[in-house]
Formats: sequence, C-alpha cells, structure tokens
Amino acid sequence: MSTKIRRIVAGVSGLAATAFLAGCAKDAPQDTWQPKGSNAKIIDDLQQPVFAIAGVIGVIVTCAVVYCIIKFRDRGQAMPEQTHGKPALEIGMTILPALILAGVGVFTFRTVFDLSKTSDTQMVVNVTGQQWWWEYDYPAQPELGITQPIITSGQRIIPVGTKVLLRETSRDVIHSYWIPALNGKRDAVPGRVHTLRLDADEPGIYAGQCTEFCGLSHANMRMETVALSKEDFAAWVANQLTNAKSPAEKTLAKEGEGVFLNQCVRCHQVNGLKKVDGTPAIAAPDENVWAGAAPNLTHLMSRNTFAGAAFDLLSKKCRADVWGASSETVGKKYLAGVGEECLNQTDLRRWLRNAPAMKPMYADPAKLTSTNGKYRGMPNLGLTEDDIDKLVAYLSTLK
Amino acid sequence: MFTPGSKLFLGLTGFVLAVSVIYVALVDNSIGGAVALLSVATGTALLAGLTLFNRDGEVAVGDVAAPAGAEPLTSSMWPLVATVGFVGVVAGLLTHPIVFFLGLIALLASGTEWLIQSWSEGASSDKTYNASIRGRMLHPLEFPVLALVGLGVIIVAFSRVMLAVSRDAGAIIFIVAGAAVLFVGSIFALKPSLKKTLVVGICVASAVGVAASGIAAASNGLRADLVEAKEEQHFSHKECGEEVSEHFDHLAEGTISLRSNAVATIELRDGKLTARELGVAKVTQTITFPRSNSATIIFRNKDEKEARLTAFLGTKAVQDGVVEEVLDCTQMIGKDHEQALTFKIAKSSRASDKPYTLTVPGLEGQSIEIMVP
Repeated sequence: MSTKIRRIVAGVSGLAATAFLAGCAKDAPQDTWQPKGSNAKIIDDLQQPVFAIAGVIGVIVTCAVVYCIIKFRDRGQAMPEQTHGKPALEIGMTILPALILAGVGVFTFRTVFDLSKTSDTQMVVNVTGQQWWWEYDYPAQPELGITQPIITSGQRIIPVGTKVLLRETSRDVIHSYWIPALNGKRDAVPGRVHTLRLDADEPGIYAGQCTEFCGLSHANMRMETVALSKEDFAAWVANQLTNAKSPAEKTLAKEGEGVFLNQCVRCHQVNGLKKVDGTPAIAAPDENVWAGAAPNLTHLMSRNTFAGAAFDLLSKKCRADVWGASSETVGKKYLAGVGEECLNQTDLRRWLRNAPAMKPMYADPAKLTSTNGKYRGMPNLGLTEDDIDKLVAYLSTLK
Repeated sequence: MFTPGSKLFLGLTGFVLAVSVIYVALVDNSIGGAVALLSVATGTALLAGLTLFNRDGEVAVGDVAAPAGAEPLTSSMWPLVATVGFVGVVAGLLTHPIVFFLGLIALLASGTEWLIQSWSEGASSDKTYNASIRGRMLHPLEFPVLALVGLGVIIVAFSRVMLAVSRDAGAIIFIVAGAAVLFVGSIFALKPSLKKTLVVGICVASAVGVAASGIAAASNGLRADLVEAKEEQHFSHKECGEEVSEHFDHLAEGTISLRSNAVATIELRDGKLTARELGVAKVTQTITFPRSNSATIIFRNKDEKEARLTAFLGTKAVQDGVVEEVLDCTQMIGKDHEQALTFKIAKSSRASDKPYTLTVPGLEGQSIEIMVP
C-alpha cells in the first residue's frame, strides 16, 4: 500500500472513529435512542432494525465502491472492453432494494397507524407554539381533578403512565413539538389542530426543543415534559388551580406587585392579581404582542425555567439536584418549586434588565412598524435596579 | 487568466461585499442582514472559483474566443428592458409598491439575460454555438417562467369572463371551452404531421382570444347579481337571532375543510345542546377554547327545525359608557346539516363578567359554556 493511500485510510478511519465516539455522549437528554414512553418505544422498535439493515447495506455499498475505486483506478492500463447493460444484474439490483423497502414499508405503516391511535386517551393538553415559547393549557377534566382550565408554559406536567393527547397549534408561524424520549415530532401549524399522543413510563424530566425553524430565536425555543406520580400530579393540579396571593403590606414584594401592575400586566396575566381599586387586573397581550399572548405567570416559581425554557430559574446546584434525582424523588423535588435559596437571581435579573440581550427577539420599539408596534418577544422595559429588586421579590412569591 | 464566467461571479462577489459594508454602515448594524449578504457573497465567490477551475465548463475560451473589440454578433433588447425596469423601480418608489416590484423584476430579468447573452457571445466566433450555450443556461429558467406567466394570464382572463357572464352562460362557456380544448388537443395528438406553424397559430390565436375576452369582460364589470350582493352585503350575515336570512351560502357545509382546526363539535338533538371536544370521547356542557388564537367549532343540527348557533364572546365599548355584546353565529341550517363557526377570543374568561357561551336562539335553557384559560 502506498504512503498516500495509507494516509487516506488513516484519515478516513480517524473521521469515522470521531463520528462513532461522538455518539457516546453521557449527558444527552434529547437522545432518540432512549425511549421512556410507549409511543417512543414503538418508534424505537422500528428504528432499531431499520437502522441495522440500513447500516449493513451502507457498509456493503461503501466497501464495494471503495474496492472498485482502488482496484480499477487509472494506472495507465489499456481501456477494457466496453459492454452495454447486464439485464439479469440490473433487474436483480432493482428488485432487491424494492423488496427491502417494501418490507420496511410494511412495518413503517403499521407503526404510523399504531402511533395515530387516540381512542384510549386519558388526558388532553392543548399545546400552542408562539415565537419563541410553548404554552400549555389543560381543559377542564374533573376526573383528573382539573375542575377549571389550567394554563402554564415552558414545562408541561403529566401524570406518569397516563395516555396524554396533545392538541397542537400555533399562533404565528409553524413550530414543531418534539420530546424525543416520549414520541416523535409533530408540527404545530397556525389554523390547524394536530394531535400527538404520548405518555411517560416513569417520573422524570424529559427535554425537547422546537424542531421547525421559526425565526430569530428558534434555537432558544425549548420545552420540557415533567412526568409526576399520580399523587404528585394531583398536588401540582391543586396548586395550579389556586390564585396568586398578594404579598403582605410594606414588604419589598408588595412594592414589586405595584411595579408588576405598572409594567408587566400589560402582557402577563397573574390570576387573582387586583388593581389598586380592587378590580381584577386583566392582561392585554392581544394589544401589545404580535401573536396575541404572553406567558401566564401565576405560578412562575412552580416551574424550573423561564423565557421559553431557555433559562433556568434554579441555580446550577439546585438544577443538578432536581434533574439528577431518581424517579422516586424527582416529583417531590420538582414540586418544591423555586425557593429563595435556589433562585437563579443572576439570569432573572439580567432578563428583567434587558431581555432581548439574552434572547434575540423582535422587540425594539423603533423597528415595529410592520407589526403595528406590537412586540414579538419581551422588550427592554428600561427598569431601574430598584424596580428589578422589587420585581424579583414579587415574582419569588408566585409559587 | 480569468474566464468570462469567473469575472461575472467575481464582480457579483465584490458588489455584494460592497453592499454588505454599506448596509451595515448605513441601514442596519444588526447581524441578520449582514450574515445574509455575506452568505450570498460566499456563494458567488464559490461559483467564481468553480467557473475559474473548470474554465467555464464546456465553453471554449482563450484562443477561440471572439477577439477583443469584435462587433457584437447579435443585437440585444435587454438594455432597453433594463432601462424600463430601472424607471419602474424609481417610479415605484414614488407611486405604488406594485410598480416598484414589476420594475425590479424587469431589472433583474434583463440583467440576467443581458449578462448571459454577453457571456455566451464571447465564447466563440460561432454564432450558432454561442446561441446553443446561451439556451443551455437560460432555457431551464425562461420556459417555466414564460409558461407560468402565460397560464396566469389565461386563468385570470377566463375568470374575468366567468364573473361577467350570467350563471347559465358561464356553464355553457365552460362546457364549450372544455370540449374545444379536448377536441383540438385530440386532433394535435392524432395528427402529428400537422404543420408546426398551424399548431402554434391555433394556440396563439386561442390565447389571444381568451386574453382579449378577459380584458373586455373586466372592463364590463361583474354580473348584476354579484354587484347587488356586494352592495347589499348578502354574505356578511350579521343576524344572530331567530331571523332567517334571505341570502346566505346554502352550501357552506360542503366546505368544511375547516375541520382540520375544529376544537369541538356542538350538536343539537332532541332540543338539547351537547358538545364533544377533539380527542375527548364523552360529551360535555363546557368546552375549553384557545386563548387569543382563531379556532373553529362545528355546529351540527339533528333536529327537524332549522337552527343556528350563536356565540356570545363578551362585550366591547363602542363609545363612552356604551357597551355592546360581541356575537358571532352560523347560518340557519336544516336537519343533518353542518356549519363551521370560526372565531377568536383574545382574553381569558376572567376578562368577562358573563361567561362566554354558545346558544341556539329560541332554545331556552340550553347553552354550552366556553372557558378560555
């Protein structure tokens, strides 16, 4: 083997080894090869053998091509005899792949039909995509303790072992919802409702992100599904059905409530929040946000993330504690919410100081002529450090 | 050293780089636009490298290229079109965006044609060969675009005719035109020996005829009943009570492509209203409707009597101290008919003193509550 060929073989082997080893990541929450729900397992049962078949065929074809390239390379030899066609080989080479594809097709169709089954749904959640966050609303389902609709964002909570039907749509552009550990992806399209069924085998936090390019902060549009035991889920529901309580008078949090009423309630609803005159404070995101909605913050501190799940509300240590918890303890740790000792004040303050600097958004008031002055994302509100202190204190009470 | 093709792409690269600098300096210093322009520059630079590497593909250059200063081999209309396009762009900036865009299209098209023509004419001193390489470059673009424009003109012209003539005449014209196309097409297929000029002549005459009819029909205006319907707003159907509209789309239930966005189906049967939400098996008296997002409800009438579904969507202030109810409704529909009702509720149910509801006017004690989270 010449030195040149040896170098090429070494280079290709090195690249192949790098690619191979790259698949050995330890902390890979969006690994499609680790199904944690029945629908994800149905997909896995299909993709494992298909991947194996495709891999074997890929290796055979690659080896054949490499063999031909090396064996029949131009070494100045005479031109071999030219022939036209070899019917038996051509027909065989057509029929064989067709048979393989037909075989794969049968199992693929069966999988598609299995995945589209929704008749035994036990719970429904509406999932709405918007640049660049996900909103979840739970229709009233008294048998699950949900006596009034619940609304949240970023993290979707489901009871373990329950077949959940997602009804997906979008308020602006096409997004795509994908929690790899629980099921395949499904586009959320404006003007349409697409359904996706999933369930989780055991309690845990399952990560995902938008998989349809949806604009400036597509890469920052993340989401998580938190599967809780049925008892923990009931506790979560009970908490979500309550209204926010106003902080005690003469506290920093109470002052923060005032700042919230002045600045934030234009877009963000906090259920139970009252104006100074005692009437309910109703958010009007339809008047300020291009797509018409902004996250409901009533129970902000019951979630672990904010800003489209792009940033942690938990400090690094507390996050590691919750995400690394066993399936037996994750529910309790998650339900503890974000306490004062665990709050990631740094990121929350940075966000309040200048949100577009942390997550690219169309929120510059000078450039909103095409949307009639409405924002896509959260603008820089020009808050003072004093206001930010008060707001953080108030937001910390929204458990 | 540089081939004509590589000069073209190098020139484009330089131009785009200059535009990037101007854009960042004068228009917008955010990264988005600059990245887009630099991507274009990278693409054209790559093409410049490729054309330089392969010496413009099969185009003979160098020795057989036309000598410098040689007379152009063909005349070109593209400078004239480019001028018209430029004038259109400038005029469009002052008058209307459509003029601007038409000018821009003319400018880009003429620029492309002009560049490729000049490039091909420098390939050799053989006029036929030069024309063939020009065709190889531009025909894959020209033919689909011309076909698209031609089809568009015919479709628009034919639609104008159909909107101008009476309904009966429209049906007859449609049948006759369809039969004529089938007949002439069959003749062309069965008689391949027909003269090319005759075939082209028939096609051109037909297209011109359709376009002329369209212009005549458009200048004549819509037929009387369409004008009347527009003036009297026959299809805006604001009546949400028990009244029966004289004019409405009787076949609306035939267009339920809206099912793809239906969050619930409301059924009237035996004087009772029930709801079934998408994905939920059991019936209910309460539905959850998306917040601030258009969605559809399908109303199905299983009663003998005609009925419509009316949605109460809160109130709005029309002037100081005066509020009125926001209502939306379907048409009156008979037994076994369906209608879709699409609406949007911007605010949560908390914003309304009275719950949002779906009712059938004249049917007491039956309503479906709409909850908006």
